[in-house]
Amino acid sequence: MQIASIHERPTKRVAMPRIRSGLSLPKPLGKFLTYATLWVAFVWSVFPFYWMIATSIRGKDEIFQRPPNLVPHAITFQNYIDLLVGAQFWRFALNSLILTISVTIISVLISVTAGYAMARHRFKGSVMLPLFMLYGQMFPPVLLLIPFYVQLRYLGWLDSLYGLIPVYLSYMLPLCVWLMRGFFSQVPFSLEDAARMDGCTRWQAFWKVILPMARPGIVAVATWVMIHTWNEFLYASTFILSEKKRTLPLGLSGLIGQYTTDWGVLMAGGVITAAPILIVFFFLQRHLVSGVGGGAVKG
Amino acid sequence: MTVHKFLRKSAVSAAIAIGLGLSPAMADNIVFWVNSPLASGPDAPIYAEIKAFEKETGHTVEVQPVAHMEMERNLFVALSGGAGPDVMALDIAWVAGLADAGLIADLSEKSKPFAAEYQAGPLASGRFDQRQYAMPLYTNNVALFVNDRMLKEAGIDKAPANWDEFHKAAVAMTNKDKDTYGLTFGGSRMGAFQLYSFIWENGGDIIDETGKVRVGEPGAVDAVDFLAKLYTENHAMPESVLTAGSWDEVNAPFIQERAGMLISGDWALSALEKGNPKLEFSVHPLPTGKQAATVIGGYNLAINANSSVQDASWQLARWLTGPRSVELMHKYNRLSATVAATTPEAIAALPEKQRPFMQQADAGKARPVVAAWSQIHNEIIANVWDSVLRGKPAKDAMAEAATAIQGLLGQ
Amino acid sequence: MMKRTSPRQELKKTWSSMFETGRGARIYPYLMVLPAVLVVVGVVVYPLVYGILSAFYDVTLRTLGSGKMNFVGLRNFERVFADPVFLQASWNTLVWVVLNVVAQLGLGLALALLLHRAIPGIGFFRSGILVPWVVPSVVAVLTWRWMYDPSVGIANELLLRLGIIDDYHPWLGDTATSLYAVTIESIWKGTPFVMLLLLAALQLVPRSILEAASMDGASGWRKLWHVILPQIRVSFAIAAVLTFILTVNNFNAIWLMTEGGPLNSSEILFTLAYKYGFKRFDLGMASAVATMLFVGLVIATTIYLKLIQAREGD
Repeated sequence: MQIASIHERPTKRVAMPRIRSGLSLPKPLGKFLTYATLWVAFVWSVFPFYWMIATSIRGKDEIFQRPPNLVPHAITFQNYIDLLVGAQFWRFALNSLILTISVTIISVLISVTAGYAMARHRFKGSVMLPLFMLYGQMFPPVLLLIPFYVQLRYLGWLDSLYGLIPVYLSYMLPLCVWLMRGFFSQVPFSLEDAARMDGCTRWQAFWKVILPMARPGIVAVATWVMIHTWNEFLYASTFILSEKKRTLPLGLSGLIGQYTTDWGVLMAGGVITAAPILIVFFFLQRHLVSGVGGGAVKG
Repeated sequence: MTVHKFLRKSAVSAAIAIGLGLSPAMADNIVFWVNSPLASGPDAPIYAEIKAFEKETGHTVEVQPVAHMEMERNLFVALSGGAGPDVMALDIAWVAGLADAGLIADLSEKSKPFAAEYQAGPLASGRFDQRQYAMPLYTNNVALFVNDRMLKEAGIDKAPANWDEFHKAAVAMTNKDKDTYGLTFGGSRMGAFQLYSFIWENGGDIIDETGKVRVGEPGAVDAVDFLAKLYTENHAMPESVLTAGSWDEVNAPFIQERAGMLISGDWALSALEKGNPKLEFSVHPLPTGKQAATVIGGYNLAINANSSVQDASWQLARWLTGPRSVELMHKYNRLSATVAATTPEAIAALPEKQRPFMQQADAGKARPVVAAWSQIHNEIIANVWDSVLRGKPAKDAMAEAATAIQGLLGQ
Repeated sequence: MMKRTSPRQELKKTWSSMFETGRGARIYPYLMVLPAVLVVVGVVVYPLVYGILSAFYDVTLRTLGSGKMNFVGLRNFERVFADPVFLQASWNTLVWVVLNVVAQLGLGLALALLLHRAIPGIGFFRSGILVPWVVPSVVAVLTWRWMYDPSVGIANELLLRLGIIDDYHPWLGDTATSLYAVTIESIWKGTPFVMLLLLAALQLVPRSILEAASMDGASGWRKLWHVILPQIRVSFAIAAVLTFILTVNNFNAIWLMTEGGPLNSSEILFTLAYKYGFKRFDLGMASAVATMLFVGLVIATTIYLKLIQAREGD
């Protein structure tokens, strides 16, 4: 959502170019095939999530039934009520929200500037630098737990949400910078030069011309950061100790029992955790459409 | 009634008096990592218990629940980062490694006066190299769950009490057309855990007290062979045995009434009742082989070797594992590891289906407390079970395991 | 700063003029890159060096407890090579990476092309297809494990009803299927991100180019191959590198479904490193595996990107 606010003026939706990637087929048939494929992809993607929902609302005695019922017989929302009524859930959600918003805003700001600079300007290290940053990502994160822990302890940042922010940034930024550099390198910079000839400052040209064009990329990057921060588990579970500072994924793992697990509650927790991001994305996905639109680029 | 209460109260205060006698009367702050099922919400019984402790001793306790799945890793990271809690709840299988590394405090001296209060098996699970490193918080063992209806329909009127009857019952309840099986069992390390009781019952052992590796001996081999053949020859176990890595997966066929028997601990009771309220089942001591035995599980409390509040930590550990644990664990439907919990009156106070577990507590045996136990269990024995199920002769698999374990212990 | 007499306007002017010309124009790219570099270098360097150095020391629970770690040279590597599981895990890693990367890129591109259309209801499909990515990984993996279950698995039931199998199958318990069963989950989870990246890249393909291609009478496939793909090749290359890295370092899927079993049939190098590190508490061996993975990844991505650049240079 914060991305949308970068653009002060609402941009008109421009009809997208139509890409027909199949063989030339008669129109109704092509349309049918398109929708059929879309539905197949949709069902494939959504089915496990549907199964989570179905498990979370069926009676506990129905979870182990064989054969499993595709549609729950008796529906109960008890699992959701149990979760949502507890004060803990809301605290976890608030912690996750604070963390996600901070990390998303910071990493988008930093990666947009860095990505733009790298794509637009050839300077010493402009080619190797992003690669070096990416190298830091290639070491299995689990094995960095101990040194990270030692580092945070030294700084006194253990068991705090703000202590997680630099850790997350170090993990997200290399990818974000990479992605942003990729998107910016697709932007035709001739437009920027044209704008500057028209008297815009460098800043204005960037703000008014380049940024709107890179909007889909920014949305993609922001979504990536948002989802990964919201769901991050490994670092949070190691560096957050007290109950008050837990994030949602930690709350979720607390629902997995030592011996047996209440699957209904766990699945309800999963659905509740995923829901906010899904809703945000549903509104955000419109902005995956380029602000200026490919059509504006001519000559 | 009142006499009972009075006795208990005085026992508690005596314990505290001893604890206080050792430490200056100072208020310390204790950081306590507890496995999250015990602290699932603000009104979990442990919080009330800790409040009572704080009131009695003046110390403060900071409870930090950690999920079972992450406990081992988080402890490792924190302890090796030079930090970590003062008091920690440990699965009994983790004690040896931490004790061996010198990361948890030696409690031998402190615990000596109270040793007789704890059941022998659970107490042994906290003993490494002749020293006591952890006190049992709660215990469990495995028993035999039987589906009464299926057993009756198979023409058997009494739950199996020995291996012979056990085998017969398993085969009798197996019916390919009706898709029913005699016994549901775990795969990999879940199955390995279930194997141990049978190895001991057969007079075999894994590693004995003198440190000798005995998995290659006939007592152990025959037990593995006996169970594996229930799957490979009699087809009396469903295919879930190949994959079941959690108790839910082990329980599932029993809940569905497709498997007539289940070997599991008291934790299965509530899961079975939730999963199938109509299920009619009974719980029995494990069928005996050459002798009775059952594998002990549970959690212990240990103290960080680097904690600056050793005495206060001991007081907390003792408070939670001592006489009060009978009532505390009762609230969780778990079993206290104190001797007081095994008296006939205490057993009678338990829900009916929990009684067999405490009744066979004497036959309970702790797994070997050796530093490399995690690896022996998770990799070596788990692989034995997996490969035997897939047709490898038990003799060969166990002989290889013996060599591998020998190699580990030699290190 | 606030009480300065110079108005904001002026400050802005100085700033801009600094960047417009002269030395400022040369430093400002560096200034823009600086925050990112600072954060990443500041946070990651110590852990990374520590992680790599651990491979050459005996770091176990015991030595960590006593604080005395000895330099052991390449002994950790020797011990890893001596483990028969290592070879199997290496092979599995190769299969795992190739299947995941190829499938995720292929499906991701196909979905991006499909979703890059202004047709009614497209937002609904876009959001739906993104679902796998949004579901918290732990819950997603456990759901799949539950769906594969040989006792209650809905996947088994559906395949049975469709007539593909005769009886419930322990997909995760069969050494022949376990790795592929986990791979399917991983593809399901990873594809939406590739789709999103490519969808965003497709937005930047100038319409004029497409129109020109259509006027030339290019067919669908040729247009895709000669016009669209070259336009998004940078994003595609990035998506490839990211998928590669994320797949090699994907831990949850295998760990929570099979723990590398049964009989190591789904063990990959990452899960092996985890076992060494957090089950055996031998961080030396774990770091040896991790370092090899790291070096492998660094070499592979560097070569790949050099190749891409070489082609771009043409």
